[in-house]
Amino acid sequence: MKSNTIPISFTINGEKKELDIHAGISALELIRDILELKGTKEGCGIGECGACTIVVDGRAINACLMLAAQLDGREILTVEGLGQAGDLHPIQEAFAEQHAVQCGFCTPGLMMSTHALLAENTNPDRSEIVKAIAGNLCRCTGYQSIVSAIEDAAKQPPKEGK
Amino acid sequence: MFDVEYIRPNNLSTALDFLNTKGTESKILAGGTDIMVDLRSGTLKTRYLLDVSRLDDLKKIEILDGKLSIGTAVTIAELLESETIAASAPALRRAAEKFASKQIRNVATIGGNVAHCSPCGDTIPPLLIHEAQALVVTPQGQRNVTIEEMASGPYHCSLHPNELITHFVLEPKPPEVDFADFQKIGRRQELAIARMSMAAMASKEDDHSISFLRFALGSCTPTPHRFNEVEDFLMGKIPTENVLWEAGKILADKMLDITGRRPSAVYKEPAIQGLFMRMMHPLTYPSLQV
Repeated sequence: MKSNTIPISFTINGEKKELDIHAGISALELIRDILELKGTKEGCGIGECGACTIVVDGRAINACLMLAAQLDGREILTVEGLGQAGDLHPIQEAFAEQHAVQCGFCTPGLMMSTHALLAENTNPDRSEIVKAIAGNLCRCTGYQSIVSAIEDAAKQPPKEGK
Repeated sequence: MFDVEYIRPNNLSTALDFLNTKGTESKILAGGTDIMVDLRSGTLKTRYLLDVSRLDDLKKIEILDGKLSIGTAVTIAELLESETIAASAPALRRAAEKFASKQIRNVATIGGNVAHCSPCGDTIPPLLIHEAQALVVTPQGQRNVTIEEMASGPYHCSLHPNELITHFVLEPKPPEVDFADFQKIGRRQELAIARMSMAAMASKEDDHSISFLRFALGSCTPTPHRFNEVEDFLMGKIPTENVLWEAGKILADKMLDITGRRPSAVYKEPAIQGLFMRMMHPLTYPSLQV
C-alpha cells in the first residue's frame, strides 16, 4: 500500500473493477479520465457547485473532493448507472418532463443528489428537497423546475433493481 | 493529480507508528474536504496522506463515565443521525444541520473540522460550550488538549506532527438545560462559510433568572472561544429584552477589543448584536408585568 501507485477495487454502476491507480488522483479524475465516464462534470473542483456529485455507498458526495484511493471497497453510482436512452430512470424522465434541464451541465450531479435523497426519504417535502440539493448549483433554470421534477420523481414507484 | 503517497493503516497503532517516523512529512486524511482544496490550491504540500477515515476506534459516539465521547472520524452526517448527539449536544446538532452541503456533510469529519483550525469551523463553538477536550495520542502516551488550545492562530494547529486526535470528550448538556442553539451568518443560506457564528446553552430558575449559561463565538476572532464576560453578565439575571441587548453590546465590545476596529466593524458590530438577539430570543422573559 506504500507507494505512488496503489491497487484499488470497487463496484461502479454494478460492475466490479480492479485497477492500479496513481495515489494522487481524485475520484473525479478516475471516473472521467480513466474510466472515461463523462457524465460526471467538473464545475469548480473545490466542492462548491455539486456538478461532480456521485453516490458512494448510498451517500451523495463531491467526486472532486475525494481521493480515488478512498473509493477502494466502495459501491459507486454515477449518472450512467441511472438509466440509458430508451430506458430512462424515473428521475431522468421527471427532469425531462418538468423542463428541469437547460444547458444540462448541473443535471447529472442534481440527479445523483436526487437519487440519494429518494433512497433515504421516499416522500420529501419541498424544504427537504431544497436542503438536499443545496450543494448543487444551477445557473440556468432558477431551480423551480428542478424542485418540481424531484417532487414528481418522488411520486414514481422505485425502479426495479435501483 | 497531486504528488502524494497514500497510506491507509488498518488499525490505530499502525497509524501512530507511521506518524511517529513520518509525521513531519505527513498529513492526516479523514474526509478530505479541506485537504483536497488545499492540495489543489498549493497551500498544502505533503509527501504522505495518512487515511484514518475507516479506523473503527475513531468512529464511535458514546456516553462513557458520564461524558460524551465523539470519535474524530465521525462525519457531520453521522453527527446528524445520532440520537446521542441530539440528546447530549443539541447545539452541535444544530451546527451540523447548517454545515456546508449534504455532499460535504457525508464525508467531512468533526476531527478534520477542528484540526484544520479555521476560525470559522462550525463545530467549534458548540464544542466550546461543551468544554470539549481532544484526546491526543502518540505511541508514547496521550494528553488532553482543550479546543481553545488547539489552534495557535488561524489555520495553525498546535499539535505535533506525530500526534493524532482520537476523540473529543464533552460535558453533556445538563438535564435542566432546555435551551441550546447554534446560529451563523454567511453570504448565503447554505454551503456558506460562517462570517459570524455562535453557540449557547442555558437554563433558568423558577423565578426566570438564568441559572446556567455557556456561550461561545466563532469566526469573529482569530481563534474561537468562550466569552466569560457575557456568561458572567447574564448569570442570575432575568433575561428581559433589554438585558439581552446589553449582553449583546458587551459581546460586541469584547470582540472589538480583540480584533480592533477594522473596516468590517461597521457591519460586524451591529450584526453580532443582532445575531445574539436572534439566538437568545427564546430565553426572553416577557418584560410586560401587570
